[in-house]
Amino acid sequence: MNKLASKKWFFILVFFGPILLSAQEKLEREYRIKEKNVPAAALAFMDSLGINVKTKWYTEESLDRKSIEVKFKFEKRRYSIEFDTFGRVEDVEVTRRWKAVEKNTQNRILMQLMRECTKYKIEKIQFQYIGLEKHLYEIIKNPNAKTPLQMKYELIVKCKSNGGVDLYEYLFNSQGDTVSKSKIIFKNSSHLEY
Amino acid sequence: MNIKKGIYFLFLFFLSSSIWAQGTDHLGAIPSLNMNKKVDEKWSMNTKVESRVIYKSVNPQGDIIKKYSHELSDLTFIMSRSIGLSSRISAGYMLRLEEGEIQQRFIQQYTLIQTKNGYRLAHRIVTDQTISPSEKPEYRARYRVSAEIPLNGKSLDTKEFYVRANNEYLNSVQNKQYDLEIRLVPLLGYVFSDKIKLEAGLDYRINSFLAKQTEQDFWFSINIFVEY
Repeated sequence: MNKLASKKWFFILVFFGPILLSAQEKLEREYRIKEKNVPAAALAFMDSLGINVKTKWYTEESLDRKSIEVKFKFEKRRYSIEFDTFGRVEDVEVTRRWKAVEKNTQNRILMQLMRECTKYKIEKIQFQYIGLEKHLYEIIKNPNAKTPLQMKYELIVKCKSNGGVDLYEYLFNSQGDTVSKSKIIFKNSSHLEY
Repeated sequence: MNIKKGIYFLFLFFLSSSIWAQGTDHLGAIPSLNMNKKVDEKWSMNTKVESRVIYKSVNPQGDIIKKYSHELSDLTFIMSRSIGLSSRISAGYMLRLEEGEIQQRFIQQYTLIQTKNGYRLAHRIVTDQTISPSEKPEYRARYRVSAEIPLNGKSLDTKEFYVRANNEYLNSVQNKQYDLEIRLVPLLGYVFSDKIKLEAGLDYRINSFLAKQTEQDFWFSINIFVEY
């Protein structure tokens, strides 16, 4: 054991427990809810789709807002539909493959990732649609339909940079320009490790 | 609220405990206090204090002895370093006080946490070496898989119950003799805050079933995890 390592062990054994301040993270919270507690309008929207799938309903709470969310799998794609507390549909997210992203947009996204990461891996891609209920309805029924919906791409990217490896949630607009980027904070897992 | 689910789960494993406990060689409890300190972005330090108390045991003649006794106490220090997004390597040292004797254990560990849709899966590989004044050194290689399932929602939040289930395989060699121990640990946990978790459940261990007479141990496990 080198001198530096023995110092570290000495430090651990003798001064075990130096109190440092740890950063507080504000995370979104979600609760599973029963169908009977889902706003009627949200249930009606799901019924109107006429698809027979297993649904899971959640209430999602963050610092400034509360919403209702339904998750389901339909034709091998994972959907997540967000409603306001009155049950009005707000957006639709669907997990898609990278090749479903338009070629020019792909290039712009990749350029951005190459600028920010020395090495990267796209872990997950979600298409996010915002707009009128009738168009959102249409896009669920036919994911390749041409609609006037506002569209964004949400990417979960493993990014290696000088600061180390981190996981990020990127939001790109339909042209592939970055709208936002946030680092994903992992929940504590010491009870799974020791 | 899914507290009902949690109580149902607890009821189930207490029920199963009364069935399992009938054939056990040891019946007791393992309370532990687990303190974890994030030193910086990469390094963290874990200190664990654990005891084992026996309520019932079977002696070599097969007689059941119902007597409360303290079997052992462990004090473990582990230093960990993250080596990627979700994996960590660790090295540690354990002091064990058992029947007035002090044993020492050196620990090397690798963990990988996978976040799945609605649950987390942890893989842990550990090698350790134990030395004691009265016995030959023991070398072990163990693999544990743990699943953490939040009982209300997609990921584990504060004031939420969860189930953690472990399955571990321990291979050991001592005095040129090989043994395998299998552990099954279903636990019900509760997150009090970002910094405190409490878990309670069963720790079922079966060993010596390859060469010798099978031995079964049945422990009631209570774990407190503190982040500081």
